[in-house]
Amino acid sequence: MLSDDHVNEIIIQVENVSSGVQSHPSSNQIFQEKVLLDSSINMVLSISDIDVIDSQTVSKRNDQKGNQVLRFSTSLNESMSQTLHSLECMGIDTPGSSHETVQGQKLIASLIPMTSRDRIKAIRNQPRTMEEKRNLRKIVDKEKSKQTHRILQLNCCIQCLNSISRAYRRSKNSLSEILNSISLWQKTLKIIGGKFGTSVLSYFNFLRWLLKFNIFSFILNFSFIIIPQFTVAKKNTLQFTGLEFFTGVGYFRDTVMYYGFYTNSTIQHGNSGASYNMQLAYIFTIGACLTTCFFSLLFSMAKYFRNNFINPHIYSGGITKLIFCWDFTVTHEKAVKLKQKNLSTEIRENLSELRQENSKLTFNQLLTRFSAYMVAWVVSTGVAIACCAAVYYLAEYNLEFLKTHSNPGAVLLLPFVVSCINLAVPCIYSMFRLVERYEMPRHEVYVLLIRNIFLKISIIGILCYYWLNTVALSGEECWETLIGQDIYRLLLMDFVFSLVNSFLGEFLRRIIGMQLITSLGLQEFDIARNVLELIYAQTLVWIGIFFCPLLPFIQMIMLFIMFYSKNISLMMNFQPPSKAWRASQMMTFFIFLLFFPSFTGVLCTLAITIWRLKPSADCGPFRGLPLFIHSIYSWIDTLSTRPGYLWVVWIYRNLIGSVHFFFILTLIVLIITYLYWQITEGRKIMIRLLHEQIINVSPLGSL
Amino acid sequence: MGNKQTVFTHEQLEAYQDCTFFTRKEIMRLFYRYQDLAPQLVPLDYTTCPDVKVPYELIGSMPELKDNPFRQRIAQVFSEDGDGHMTLDNFLDMFSVMSEMAPRDLKAYYAFKIYDFNNDDYICAWDLEQTVTKLTRGGLSAEEVSLVCEKVLDEADGDHDGRLSLEDFQNMILRAPDFLSTFHIRI
Repeated sequence: MLSDDHVNEIIIQVENVSSGVQSHPSSNQIFQEKVLLDSSINMVLSISDIDVIDSQTVSKRNDQKGNQVLRFSTSLNESMSQTLHSLECMGIDTPGSSHETVQGQKLIASLIPMTSRDRIKAIRNQPRTMEEKRNLRKIVDKEKSKQTHRILQLNCCIQCLNSISRAYRRSKNSLSEILNSISLWQKTLKIIGGKFGTSVLSYFNFLRWLLKFNIFSFILNFSFIIIPQFTVAKKNTLQFTGLEFFTGVGYFRDTVMYYGFYTNSTIQHGNSGASYNMQLAYIFTIGACLTTCFFSLLFSMAKYFRNNFINPHIYSGGITKLIFCWDFTVTHEKAVKLKQKNLSTEIRENLSELRQENSKLTFNQLLTRFSAYMVAWVVSTGVAIACCAAVYYLAEYNLEFLKTHSNPGAVLLLPFVVSCINLAVPCIYSMFRLVERYEMPRHEVYVLLIRNIFLKISIIGILCYYWLNTVALSGEECWETLIGQDIYRLLLMDFVFSLVNSFLGEFLRRIIGMQLITSLGLQEFDIARNVLELIYAQTLVWIGIFFCPLLPFIQMIMLFIMFYSKNISLMMNFQPPSKAWRASQMMTFFIFLLFFPSFTGVLCTLAITIWRLKPSADCGPFRGLPLFIHSIYSWIDTLSTRPGYLWVVWIYRNLIGSVHFFFILTLIVLIITYLYWQITEGRKIMIRLLHEQIINVSPLGSL
Repeated sequence: MGNKQTVFTHEQLEAYQDCTFFTRKEIMRLFYRYQDLAPQLVPLDYTTCPDVKVPYELIGSMPELKDNPFRQRIAQVFSEDGDGHMTLDNFLDMFSVMSEMAPRDLKAYYAFKIYDFNNDDYICAWDLEQTVTKLTRGGLSAEEVSLVCEKVLDEADGDHDGRLSLEDFQNMILRAPDFLSTFHIRI
């Protein structure tokens, strides 16, 4: 260890170094002085650190500084570990921890009691070089094995657990490797990110994520409902014409595509084969699909909230974020140059905004602005309601219209009108921008988004109302199949419009922008509009899954094709975004949207269907029952006669069916939520206090 | 999964797996990318831990890095001697930190080092000027650049000492959730 004189000498050197470092950063001499500087601070602070801990005062600032230096002191450990490494390669076993600094020993000591999973995570998260991490790992493993050697007798149990956890970790690694190798479109996404940046990439990632939902639902449906149905399929006597792909009626009515085709019997092959109750299989499979989607959405949403939710009390620094959040995923030369140009423009705008910040508006101006907002909101809401009413009356009229006209293409009128509304009205909404003036462009984006969401959700809502109130109670034979066909047509028409827009509309816009009115230039990819379209389609799929079990498969194919069409159109017709788009926050918002109006709405619709509606008498797995839910009731009744399954009946009657249980559960959840909320509030206060402490302790802070 | 590769010993590969965020396959793929940069320099057998450094010019010509305004700083931060010439360990370290699995704190630490051009553990006004110049490539005038640097120090300097320390930087990153997805190089 260094003597006192030596330490003093180095501290003097410290002062020299810190005053004038402006030269070439990779100069060896400065680097060597830094080595000594670091190691000396290391020594000095290590002693003070121990003192702090010994006296059991928690001084966060000291600890922080200690940690900071721990992280920055790469050199001393590095030179030592280099020698270790070379000795290691020659196979010589080196002595353990005699050369490690005190911080290193503390780190090792903290790593030893951790489980191997936590230990690996902690080692990976260390901001050290690979050498140091490797040595750390080696030393910790050695210490750990020494310890387990000492307590060998009692712990064959623990060794078992260790080997199990190691095997589990290995299998998890190989599973993640397999999943990564079949991960779709890695190269394409890299190219998109390289040319357009993270924000446009987020749309394509979202599409891929939705695709996973559909693949899972399809696999579940296929294995549990469709395959058994195939085994007892009746022969299809209807004719096949090409129009069925668009209308979904005709030949497809008697296939596994729709609810009506499924049998309500208990399938049994052979005399002693196991029996397969189609009713229960149908309802349980759809239930399992939706439950998995629910939990998956919940966990994704929670993960995004945790990473991206900013405390609104802390301001959001505009220019700092522009400077320090450069998009490293952009790798194409032209894209980088364009991004640099756009960044300059944005910085300039930001600077000029700051200069204008203090200009206040007169009362008249405020009044005009406020009334412009009011008018715009009233008009947009009015337009949305008008569209909903139009859709409803058209749907009602459609039934009679179809009875009189025999043209099979006539059923496409409703989906066509709905898709036109979905295309035209958002354009009208974006025209409002000419009338309304917002201080921040971000507010404009949010307002447009909210209006579009309101439009789409109202349309789906009104259609659900129509289906459940009119179609289901109309007395039509096989109304479930009718609803399924309606949803299929809506989805397909939406897809066709999207394709036409990609290939024709955007292409035309490019021709106009490049050749006719060159001042317009290429358009930018409207991420919000496209994500809303995806959410709309996915909501329809989730509603339709009960009435048309093959719908996830159809959506899968559509998403697949849409990925390629959007990608091709993007490369040909668009330019990279010019403004910063807060990709993470918007993604959080979109996933929340997918959960809150979209998925919960689907659950409500299906709940109403299952608990309130009467199944049709002649078709489907629930034919003849008074309500869909009666299939479960009769199953519980049959189970209660069998002695081996009384526990299921007990669970059903006392847990699921009982009000007291849910009341107590709700109470417990509310109490836990309240406790967590109080903990969060307490932590916020502590953050504020510590922040103030930092400012007060700093030399210039009290000015 | 067959262990048919002869480049690393089993222990070496396990160590890499435990010390980076990559799986075995990705480590091998990265090794072959590294080897492709300088085929005559990098041996195909690392069981003897050869001391091989690929010079910065070759690292900086990788398609993922060649147009990045900060490629030189990135190579300098992750290289052993701060000169940009990288061993395989440095290479793996670099892409591990820049991958999407690295946590925010780790990325913030290395981002701080990248933006600290003079390596004095603080981002001072000079460092900021360098950063802004590299980002805008001459798109801003000198007056605008210094205005920007002033504004940044105003916004982010918590202890008001005229430069950003690691804590200031990390505090600022906490309020920028996009950082995690933008500080990411896909390989």
